Amino acid sequence: MEIYPFLPKTNCKKCGHPTCMAFALALLQGKAKVDDCTPLIDEKKYKENLEKLKELMGGADGKEKELHIDVDKDLCDGCGICVTACPVNARYCLPTLSGKAPDYPPEKHQLFQVTDGKCELLDLKSCRRLEAEGRERECTVCENYCPRKAIKINYV
Amino acid sequence: MIRINCSGCSLLCDDIFVNTNGSIIDQVIGACKKGKQRLDQLNAKNRITSPMIRKNKELKKVSWEEALNKVKEIIKNSSKPILYGFSTSSCEAQLKGIELAKKINGFIDSNSIICQGKVLNVAKDSGITLTTLAEIINKADLLILWGANIADSIPRLLNKALFSRGKFRLTGREIKTIIMIDPIKTASFEVMQMRDTALYIQLGKDIDLIRFLKENISIDREIIENKIAGLDKEDIKRLIINLMNAEYGVIFVGQGLLKSNPEYNILKELIELVRAINSKNEKGRLSLVFLGGHYNMVGFEHVALSFYGKNHSLQFSDNLLVNTNDTIVNKVANDDFDCSVIVGTDPISNFPSFLSSKLASKPLILIDNKKSATMEVADVFLPSSLTGLECEGLAYRFDHVPIQLKKILNPPSDVLSDEEILNNIIKEINKK
Amino acid sequence: MEMTVNIVRMIERDQIEEFSFGDELSLKEKLAIGFLNPKDFDKLGLVKSLHIKLSNKYGDVIISQVRDEKVPEGIVLMPVSIWSNQITGVENGNIIYKDLKVEVEPTRDPILQFKDLIAKIKKKK
Repeated sequence: MEIYPFLPKTNCKKCGHPTCMAFALALLQGKAKVDDCTPLIDEKKYKENLEKLKELMGGADGKEKELHIDVDKDLCDGCGICVTACPVNARYCLPTLSGKAPDYPPEKHQLFQVTDGKCELLDLKSCRRLEAEGRERECTVCENYCPRKAIKINYV
Repeated sequence: MIRINCSGCSLLCDDIFVNTNGSIIDQVIGACKKGKQRLDQLNAKNRITSPMIRKNKELKKVSWEEALNKVKEIIKNSSKPILYGFSTSSCEAQLKGIELAKKINGFIDSNSIICQGKVLNVAKDSGITLTTLAEIINKADLLILWGANIADSIPRLLNKALFSRGKFRLTGREIKTIIMIDPIKTASFEVMQMRDTALYIQLGKDIDLIRFLKENISIDREIIENKIAGLDKEDIKRLIINLMNAEYGVIFVGQGLLKSNPEYNILKELIELVRAINSKNEKGRLSLVFLGGHYNMVGFEHVALSFYGKNHSLQFSDNLLVNTNDTIVNKVANDDFDCSVIVGTDPISNFPSFLSSKLASKPLILIDNKKSATMEVADVFLPSSLTGLECEGLAYRFDHVPIQLKKILNPPSDVLSDEEILNNIIKEINKK
Repeated sequence: MEMTVNIVRMIERDQIEEFSFGDELSLKEKLAIGFLNPKDFDKLGLVKSLHIKLSNKYGDVIISQVRDEKVPEGIVLMPVSIWSNQITGVENGNIIYKDLKVEVEPTRDPILQFKDLIAKIKKKK
């Protein structure tokens, strides 16, 4: 638990969690942000801890790591397995249940579409890794099921 | 955006959207790499849009009248013409081709004879359990790929068969089992998960596996051999358990199985194995699916069977169909022809070189839309349009379901459809 | 060295694509090629720049070669092309594309150009 040492360890509950340990767990699961711990932000004595914590949790400039799903167009062969297998696509686009391509124009929450023979990511906002709760946030269906290994999930 | 049927391969997907203004296509949604390649052929760099005749060893552009005259001259000077190809033509064009063969006492055959081969023939003798794509999507829980590398030949089939959530298989991929039998680890193996089995069979030993399974399909009997066809005892046991307990199993048969062990009748033994399994398995049934490349290979067999009672290798004499055991392979190998009409295929690239030499040594008329090796040896070239895009027609999917292909663009001027070209040849020969 | 040839479909090496959009050079580069297991590659004493000559009772052909771990030992994989059909033949009325026995040897001789291969086909009777 690399996060816990940098927290105040006072269990003041200002972040909305019962203990600092619970807050650390929530930070790991992405259910809380570092800024939720107001003592860390307001009190000067925790300044160094705050910087170290932001570095651990986010990029070098203190921002949170962003989700990127990249499709390698040279490897992709347009098979459309990502379109059919993605659970978000399956929920909002009825044709994908029988393996068909979704209708055009694309649905609001549709994630993948095969354009001009290559897979294309439409809108990352609807991805389960951002929207869902609990274990669904660990969704790696598109990366696992691509037969050409052309899809990569990265945090940058 | 309009919805079209793709004619890139024998899957004939009907869920493709294209954006067109009537003269070009600038975006396509849903089609895989092969479908996109088919659409790109509309404006391909090496597309040929004018009739040509070989003069002084070079192909020169000529008018349709001159080209058809030359065709008539070649055919009138021959007594044993052969016609070959037709797997990239619509059913209407295939029927016209057979009509032309009948008129000129010719022999006609399609690509299926060197690919899927005599599937419907064997079916006539012993019956065969086929299935359709909709049934596979809605019911299949066991898929076996035997000698078939689907990811490289029909990319969207794995998507539709394995990852779909059909009416009776709503959990999708998690409830389906896939078994792959192939000597080489191909790209298709990447979709396998925990409960699936990869069987790296030894090259050329498929007949041993089929015969072993036929003898041992009861799962009570103990297997004494340690290795069969290069496979471990445990893997074979797993395969047998899966085969005997599937509710709806499908075996995809590819060239790797059909072309191995040419000295045996692999097709007949495979059908007997499937029948034996079906009679023992009370819970469900096993079906076969034969995969082919070109989009209307199955269509020729249906057209020939429906109109003339024979599904391949038709020989005509005096306007009647005569009995023959010849196929295009031994007609060419035995020099039993004196001119050839090739439609929509490239035999000089795809036949063994000694057969290509024999084809190239006699007058050759080619009906196609682009450069190819056969064009380099052809005496007459007649440009044809792309069915499913520039002309309409009927085509049969790999699971024998007929699909109507639409016309969405006009072909370049001077380019006619296969059906019109064959019709013009018949009219030219009829002229006195 | 005796090996077995299997002629297969490869989605990135498609002769229809090269005939439609490429030229004779790209056709030769992409299709006159064979894939070998690294152990066979070493047994033959090959390096990247050498070609290999395959010969059997149906004919012979010179192609370039590539190491590939996915190919089992003793097998050469080739894409469907006019080069691979120099070593295919007919048996019992069937064309043989799989399980072809060939003799393989390294060579410095050049790969036949497309035009030369067509000339060779036209000359043979």
